[in-house]
Amino acid sequence: MSGPLLTLDGVAKSFGEIDALTLVDLEINSGQVIGLVGGNGAGKTTLLRLMAGVMEPTKGSILFESKPVSSMRQKLGVVPESTGLYSRLTAWENIRYHSRMYGVPDEVAWNRVLHFAKRLEITDALSRHTKGFSRGMRQKTALLRALAHGPDILLLDEPTAGLDVTSARTVRTLVGQLRDEGGTVIYSTHHLAEAQQVCDRIIIVHNGTIRADGSPSQLLELTQMDNLEDAYVSLTSDKARARNEDTSKEGKLAKWWRRFLTGSTPNSMEVSEDE
Amino acid sequence: MSNTWRFITTIAKKEIIEFVRDWRTLLALVVIPLLIFPALFIALPLLLQSEAQELDALELEIVWQGTINGTLHDAFNDSGLIVFFEEMPTDITNLSDTGGDADRLREKSTSAIFRLNQTEIVILNETRTEWKFSILYLSTSEASNEARNRIISDISNWESSVVNGTLVKANLDPESTLDPVRWDGDLSNTDVATKGEQAGLILSMFIPMVIAIWTASSAIQPSIDMTAGERERGTLEALLCLPCSRMQLLAGKWLAVASITSAGVALQIGGLLFAIAFLASASVLGIPTLSITSILLLLSAIVIFTIMVVAFELALAMKAHSVKEAGSLLGPAIIFIIFPALFTQVINLDGVESWWFAIPLVNILLAMRELLLDRVISEHVLVWLISSLFYAGIAAWYAAKQFKREDLVASIS
Repeated sequence: MSGPLLTLDGVAKSFGEIDALTLVDLEINSGQVIGLVGGNGAGKTTLLRLMAGVMEPTKGSILFESKPVSSMRQKLGVVPESTGLYSRLTAWENIRYHSRMYGVPDEVAWNRVLHFAKRLEITDALSRHTKGFSRGMRQKTALLRALAHGPDILLLDEPTAGLDVTSARTVRTLVGQLRDEGGTVIYSTHHLAEAQQVCDRIIIVHNGTIRADGSPSQLLELTQMDNLEDAYVSLTSDKARARNEDTSKEGKLAKWWRRFLTGSTPNSMEVSEDE
Repeated sequence: MSNTWRFITTIAKKEIIEFVRDWRTLLALVVIPLLIFPALFIALPLLLQSEAQELDALELEIVWQGTINGTLHDAFNDSGLIVFFEEMPTDITNLSDTGGDADRLREKSTSAIFRLNQTEIVILNETRTEWKFSILYLSTSEASNEARNRIISDISNWESSVVNGTLVKANLDPESTLDPVRWDGDLSNTDVATKGEQAGLILSMFIPMVIAIWTASSAIQPSIDMTAGERERGTLEALLCLPCSRMQLLAGKWLAVASITSAGVALQIGGLLFAIAFLASASVLGIPTLSITSILLLLSAIVIFTIMVVAFELALAMKAHSVKEAGSLLGPAIIFIIFPALFTQVINLDGVESWWFAIPLVNILLAMRELLLDRVISEHVLVWLISSLFYAGIAAWYAAKQFKREDLVASIS
């Protein structure tokens, strides 16, 4: 197919009065590793969730091969930041659960998983319960789970966060191999060096907007900087907003009860955003 | 197999496997429901019986104050009472005045104190003997209560013999004088209800309540685990990324919770039937006689009730922001099951108005009571069936609304 795999057209997302994303236009082509880079609360996770079709945009549209992405989740593989493994199931049972939901026969899924498990050096752990898994093992299992049905796009939300050096390197190596085999990976991170190392294209997200989109060399050219860190700082020089995607509002009764129990915050302790 | 059915069964299977892998859960799910009725109906009566036998075999020491009566003394000896005689205290105003004896009973130095006073009175120029007595005892002591009961029983027999003696002396027949109006024949032959119908009546007094409370309470933990628990553990986001719809996800989780709950209820009923069979073999309780229609309607009532309760509990648990909050919401919600369940037990089923069968929860409980009595009244069946389906639909709609909330994707871990 010649057209883009994923198209975001005028996408905006609000949570109540908070604008998490404003007017995002993107086209994702196959065979690339795309890094979503930004600080905490920049909107990376929201953008990934919109791309994964688990959230609907407030404005605009997200199409996967010209169809609404929410109806094309079959083609996506997602690894959320929390990995989402069931501790009472073994690694393979976790993977099999998802692959069955994708309608993949167990044998096909097993062969595919074995193929990637060898690369991630996790084959021996497949029959173990995930309860005692380290963060790195959990991340690798979640990666296998996302790959077991052979997705067209892999969406990874901070896949190396909290991982030791070796595990992080193994994950990055796998991402590189997937790209070499023609796969498409969208990779969110707040580590610029990692993005530079792994990604063909970097999208800088800040305060819910796309600040820059291009290859590392294009970003340097755009900002007239010598290194990507300086480029990133120059593109995101305005103050980062506070992270807040929690839409739940405290009711009047709950607020009164909290203040009744704990006392209200003295005015002198309240700090202005501008300070 | 259609995609929808594949999604639902895959989700339900995984939830059940994960749920039963915890041995504590399995214990609560299998052992407790299975043993609760045999424990109540077999083990408890056996224990009570053995305790009663133990108490019967006890020899109890009592103090006898005042007049001594040989006949009564012999009866006390035969009842296993060891008597110590004492003088009647002089500082009491009447025989029930405990005086200084209260401490002896509290200290348990004696099981009971029997006081007897014989007086001679003259009525119509005839001297008659009158006896006055009292028993001092400690109601919180089983031995003291037992001693009192034995004394009362012996006094009652002695009194009967005294009365009969007096009547015979006066040339009167004791039976026709004391019991001139009598039942003729065997009392048990006069009830036209069969043993099975009687058993149905007894079971209808608590089976609906047990089913309702057990269904609601056993669904709480899996409901919380599969909703707020998933959110808190961060597994829900990955699940929502799968190619199934939220409704399919809800249906899968509902099937899992309903299966777990139904297994618990089925095991509980199995235990109950075993206990009934045991009691029937001992001729304590008959086996209820139910028609096929009643059985099918009874099962339908349980299924509809399960749909409604499980959907409602899943919705409330999904609405909660944490496992703790879900527990705080669902725990007290059980009151809304217990109260109607208790309330329904006192509703008179003879001539009950049809509108009772439209009240949420009460309708199903009343229906179960009627069906256990093998009463299939078309008008009532129609009302509870339609109203229950309506309420189950509302519960399912509410659950669907909670499952479609967008903020579910945001993990609260």
